[in-house]
Amino acid sequence: MAETEEELDIRYTHITDETYLRGWLMNPELQHFLPVSNEQEVHNTLQCWLGFCRYSASLTATLNGTPCGIATLFLMPYQKVSHHCLFKIMVDPMHQKKGVGNSLLKNVIHLAKIYFKLEEIYTEVVEDNPLIHLLRKYDFYQFAEQKDYVKENDRYYARLLFGISLI
Amino acid sequence: MNRQKKTLSNLSFRLTDSSDAPYLTKWLSDPEVLHWFPMLTQPEVADAIRIWIGYSRLGSGLTVEHNNVPCGMATLYIQAYEKLKHTCLFSIIIQKDKRGCGIGHLLMEKLIKLAQEKFKISILHLEVYEGNPARKMYAKLGFAEFGRQERFIKGKNTYLAKVFMQKRLI
Repeated sequence: MAETEEELDIRYTHITDETYLRGWLMNPELQHFLPVSNEQEVHNTLQCWLGFCRYSASLTATLNGTPCGIATLFLMPYQKVSHHCLFKIMVDPMHQKKGVGNSLLKNVIHLAKIYFKLEEIYTEVVEDNPLIHLLRKYDFYQFAEQKDYVKENDRYYARLLFGISLI
Repeated sequence: MNRQKKTLSNLSFRLTDSSDAPYLTKWLSDPEVLHWFPMLTQPEVADAIRIWIGYSRLGSGLTVEHNNVPCGMATLYIQAYEKLKHTCLFSIIIQKDKRGCGIGHLLMEKLIKLAQEKFKISILHLEVYEGNPARKMYAKLGFAEFGRQERFIKGKNTYLAKVFMQKRLI
């Protein structure tokens, strides 16, 4: 465990991380927790997600130099709402339970607060997403629950919205 | 009451098209109207209108006319993801001096019908800011609150919450 932690690094996301992000988005296990379900949707999501690299609003976790997770702030385009933003986190299923999500979350909160001076960040997750445990650990509060928002294989799942105040 | 009857008798509804954009620009140039939207500057308004009118290509926008002149619009932001296609967020705007006559209610009824019949949507949802009088209309139409995000809009030392509401159509 200690060895793994030593190898973990967090850096700004590069556009070249696209290959890894695409691989995770195409992973059926991860897709359950995401809105994507086909190649076109993955392509569109990638364009949107990686577009925030140019604002230095995205972080990549690496293990031995290889990307293993990403966290991105989806900065708001309008002034009246630019004091907060949505963020998303994803960890390579091969490297879960190694503290990658924890480190990404801690760093993305820091980035939002210190660099972007945001007052609040929030995320949306499917009801059975294991990330919920981590969000609660960091004192995120739930402010919305939309029943039946996601439909997968004729089964419905709620989406939950969690936020954290940074001021 | 008489005013309501007079207004309603001259209303017609059609799909929104790109020629409606100048009306949105005009309505949203009023700071009192813009107060209930997230945009502030002219480029932000232009961006929001571009997105709004963009959905007319899918035939998911409706324009209401009074005496053949647009006085309100509503659009369904059709979901791009298969897993979410049964749900849909929408926006609505009614020209300021045509409010209180039931036009918004009628436009919403037409939009719900469009959502159900053309796009097979089963959950329609919206985002409205705290204090917006339109919230009463949404409640009357059967929309129920499922969340609330405090301090969503930031003004000059003031904040407004965003309220999430949805209605099941099936």
